[in-house]
Amino acid sequence: MKNNSGQGAEDPILQWVTFRLDNESYGINVMQVQEVLRHTEIAPVPGAPTYVLGIINLRGNVVTVIDTRQRFGLTPAPITDNTRIVIIEADKQVVGILVDSVAEVVYLRQSEIETAPNVGTDESAKFIQGVCNKNNELLILVDLEKMMTEDEWAELSGF
Amino acid sequence: MNKPQLPVQQYVPEQTIQHYLDALLQDAADELARADAEVAAPAPAPVVTEAPRAAVVHKLERPVEIAEPQMPAEPMIEPPAAPPPVQQAIAAWREEPFEALLFDVGGLKLAVPLVLLGSIYPLEGEITPLFGQPDWFLGILSTPAGNLKVLDTARWVMPERYTPELQDTLGFVISVEGYDWGMAVHGVQQSIRLSPEQVKWRSQQGKRPWLAGTVIEHMCALLDVSALAELIVGSGGAAGNAAAPALG
Repeated sequence: MKNNSGQGAEDPILQWVTFRLDNESYGINVMQVQEVLRHTEIAPVPGAPTYVLGIINLRGNVVTVIDTRQRFGLTPAPITDNTRIVIIEADKQVVGILVDSVAEVVYLRQSEIETAPNVGTDESAKFIQGVCNKNNELLILVDLEKMMTEDEWAELSGF
Repeated sequence: MNKPQLPVQQYVPEQTIQHYLDALLQDAADELARADAEVAAPAPAPVVTEAPRAAVVHKLERPVEIAEPQMPAEPMIEPPAAPPPVQQAIAAWREEPFEALLFDVGGLKLAVPLVLLGSIYPLEGEITPLFGQPDWFLGILSTPAGNLKVLDTARWVMPERYTPELQDTLGFVISVEGYDWGMAVHGVQQSIRLSPEQVKWRSQQGKRPWLAGTVIEHMCALLDVSALAELIVGSGGAAGNAAAPALG
């Protein structure tokens, strides 16, 4: 992971964009976030994998939107005014991830991040990079690169 | 038999607990019988020492409290899954009288040696679930001592009677000394002093390595929570074990 701040090579401070899904807070590396969009019409793509909601037109570019809830094994939720599409860059691709809301950017020291339990067999358990207590709640840090397998990233590039 | 004080008795028939303990005792008896057959030794010794565990310091943060959980009426019957093999060391605490804490999991009275316990945390805060984890992993509880990974104890010790509603009435998390794991329980009762002779000891080779034995006098199962924690840590996400909760 890139070091977002040069403060202290031994214990760097990292910036994370936090979002909510199913009343839990998640964080993704700010360096991978390009922009945050309000929910807009997502055009379904026939034959797309179940984790692909569809595509959006982002200033003339086609961006695939991933159903983050489905990817994380969470139940679907209705779209609200707070729903956002976070445009991220992962595996050299630009994709959107649909989240319930986007909260803030937080600064975390590397030493504050704890490893996640290593008991999950579900593929989605690999997405969890670590956990951290912030603002009296637990922040679950997500490794976007691992959100998809290599095959899935390759499949996404075809859209 | 001491009658439990919890109102759970209104919902869980005493015979259900009796049946469970009977099953545990039968299991323990089978193990002892097998051990007798293999080793031509007289009366089974209560303890077989391999590598005594270093003594740990009990540091309960708060006095033992009595909770009043509400239990579901009808437990669900599920077949238990087979456990993975686990290398266990017999603990030194088994060799002499020890204090044990009685607690309640889904109406079942369990005991655990105090030396194996860390702290008791009332479940006032939220347990944060993590996606992609096995059912028996409830999530992470933030405590003053750090984040604690919380085990759904009922899923492990009584999978055949587990119902999802049991999660609604959890009252405490008991941390295991030396591990960042804790056990979610419904109520905490008093501590008792047990001598090794009071315990019907169980060998560590069975399908419940966390079951140290049973205490007929108190009608409870005695848990070796270190073995339980070791089992979890040792599973490390191994397929089969993590997906299926029950090692009962």
